[in-house]
Amino acid sequence: MMDLWAGGPPRDERPASGSTTRPRTGDEGQHDTVLVVDDDTSILDTVSSILTGEGYVVVSASTGEEALEAVARRQPALILLDMRMPVMDGWAVARALREQGNQVPIVVMTAAESAKRWADEVGAEGYLAKPFGLDDLLATVERFRKPGGRAN
Amino acid sequence: MLIFISVTLRAVRQPTRAHTDIALFFGALAFVILASRIATLSRTTPPPWLIAVEVGVLMAMPYILLRLVDDFTHVRAVVKRVAELGFVVGVIATFVSVPALPPPLTLYIVGYFFVVSLYCAIAFIRASRRARGVTRRRMEAISLGSILLGTSLVLAGLTPLAPDDNRAILQALGQLFSLSSAVAYYLGFAPPPILRRAWQEPELRSFLARAASLPRLPTTLDIVRELERGATNSTGTAARIGLWQEHTSKLRFWEDDDTTVDLEPGTHFAGRAFELQRPIFSGNPIRDNPDGAAGYRSRNIGAVLATPITAGERRLGVLAFSAERAPIFAVSDIELAGLLADQAAVVLESRVLIDHAARVRAREEATRLKEDFLSAAAHDLKTPLTTVVAQAEFLERRAVREPSAPADLAGIRRVVRESKRLAGLVGDLLDATRLEQGRLVGEREPVDLATLAQEVCAHDTADRSICQVEATAPVVGAYDRRRIEQLLQNLVENAKKYSPDRTPIKIKVWQEDAEARVAVVDSGIGIPAADLPRIFERFSRASNVDDKRFHGMGLGLFICRGIVEEHGGRIWVESEVGKGSTFHVALPIADGRRLN
Repeated sequence: MMDLWAGGPPRDERPASGSTTRPRTGDEGQHDTVLVVDDDTSILDTVSSILTGEGYVVVSASTGEEALEAVARRQPALILLDMRMPVMDGWAVARALREQGNQVPIVVMTAAESAKRWADEVGAEGYLAKPFGLDDLLATVERFRKPGGRAN
Repeated sequence: MLIFISVTLRAVRQPTRAHTDIALFFGALAFVILASRIATLSRTTPPPWLIAVEVGVLMAMPYILLRLVDDFTHVRAVVKRVAELGFVVGVIATFVSVPALPPPLTLYIVGYFFVVSLYCAIAFIRASRRARGVTRRRMEAISLGSILLGTSLVLAGLTPLAPDDNRAILQALGQLFSLSSAVAYYLGFAPPPILRRAWQEPELRSFLARAASLPRLPTTLDIVRELERGATNSTGTAARIGLWQEHTSKLRFWEDDDTTVDLEPGTHFAGRAFELQRPIFSGNPIRDNPDGAAGYRSRNIGAVLATPITAGERRLGVLAFSAERAPIFAVSDIELAGLLADQAAVVLESRVLIDHAARVRAREEATRLKEDFLSAAAHDLKTPLTTVVAQAEFLERRAVREPSAPADLAGIRRVVRESKRLAGLVGDLLDATRLEQGRLVGEREPVDLATLAQEVCAHDTADRSICQVEATAPVVGAYDRRRIEQLLQNLVENAKKYSPDRTPIKIKVWQEDAEARVAVVDSGIGIPAADLPRIFERFSRASNVDDKRFHGMGLGLFICRGIVEEHGGRIWVESEVGKGSTFHVALPIADGRRLN
């Protein structure tokens, strides 16, 4: 199934309405937009470049405030959210979104042992324990590409 | 007369020298008062032999007083001999010349009385100033008695000179004073148990009131000192506590200057009391324990009471009292010593429990810190590792799928950069571990700090900040070159990290007294005062550093402090938020011996 996206041209960060290499699902735009939030620029760049390379539209944010702004502006299909960030951390971002009534799926990214517990705490749909490999990342993102996920 | 009878009865029951002297003294006092009363009432001239006896008894009084001084504190032998000689000379001269006493002899008798009494009064006043608690009260009463006796003597001397109508008043006053002095002497020399208890009670009360808070004093020595003070005040004798040291099997005493004296159980009085688990009293320690004679002489100790401090089955130590002379102790003091020792046992046992609880807490805290350290370290290592793993796998996949595609330079650079960061973190972690074991600093060699500072600065010229060295002369010491270089690099990097771009950073190197001094000065964001005390702690980062541009585990300054302290130096920081920080380092200029 990954082959579907393999070799797809890198996309820009505009809504994926111009995409031609993947099946359209009607509710266009949001379903292939992934918001990556991490204060570590290396991780941000790495995850962004991988997902872009796999054909996703990626929006990146390095602070909690940027993340909320990006959600409002781009309505992503999925948020990859780092928990430990200065000022506004992952918990604050998740809480703010749920309070707004926004039920966008969240996948928690953390280096802590308690990744699963934290994911439950913030009402996230999944978690990626750092350090994660390429397959973990892609499988997780793929699962949320469409609401309800896609059978493997 | 009543006093005389009471002290005589006691002297008969407990025939000690002090008790005999006290009985003799009051006998003499009673005789003199009685004789003068009879003379006044009968208005007859007493027969010559009676005058001679009266004079003899009068002269005996200050001599007995002197013996009492010796019983309670200490009189030099030569003073005793001179007083004895003076007494004998006076008595013989009186017997030879009665019924008429020539004026020089009268003068001699009065002079003898006056000088010896004065000597005794001064001796007792001095003893009262040295003494504490009950003993102090006793010595004060005796001093008062001496002063009253002296006054009554002056009055007696003045009586014949006074006009006739005033004589009766002077006589009555004199008798009042001599009676009061008798009472004061009685209270001091032989205080009735009820008075003794009344004197002890406030001291005991304040001691017991404080006892509850004693176990929480910072150190065991503080507790020992407080217990000693309480016991000293309560008994009026010098109290010392010896604690049983399990690991050396000895009793440890602390001197006033905090030096320690260890005692084998079974030796000296304290050791014997500890071994036998019962109180031991000696009114002549030099005879009873010749091994300690020198110590008793030099410290002027004439009586010792030692009682074990025991909590149930646990033998904790010994409470030992010492005094200049045995009469300072009362029979009830053995009981009191036992009570104080029991109280001390309670206090010391509580301390053991508190210490135990503190050790458990400290162990838990150490475990928690270790876990915190591990999880923080793991977290900080996983962050760069995430990039390395995911990015490398992605590069690999790309290379397999599109062998001809141009290299993803940005991705490769990320892997390189994060790998280096990982290496740095691992290095810091290893250093922190070495630091905990105190083996961060290795072999030392002569190092010129000024040159080293230049090298560190030059190494960083490519960087955005400008590094300058201010040094007028070489400053050479014996240091681990690699570690000092790491120290300077860390400080310079730290300064740059928290300074705006292109603001100069200065390294000043100079010598001050016997120390090499280095100061790294920046004009960066500064450190809030509240964070300063923790800045050299593990994983500490100032609260105003919320910019995660600055990656690191917060181990940098912790390692810096380790390097400096293992060199025997100091590191500290002066800082003002918004103005900048100056990190100071002072290292000893090592002598040749430390150069390997």
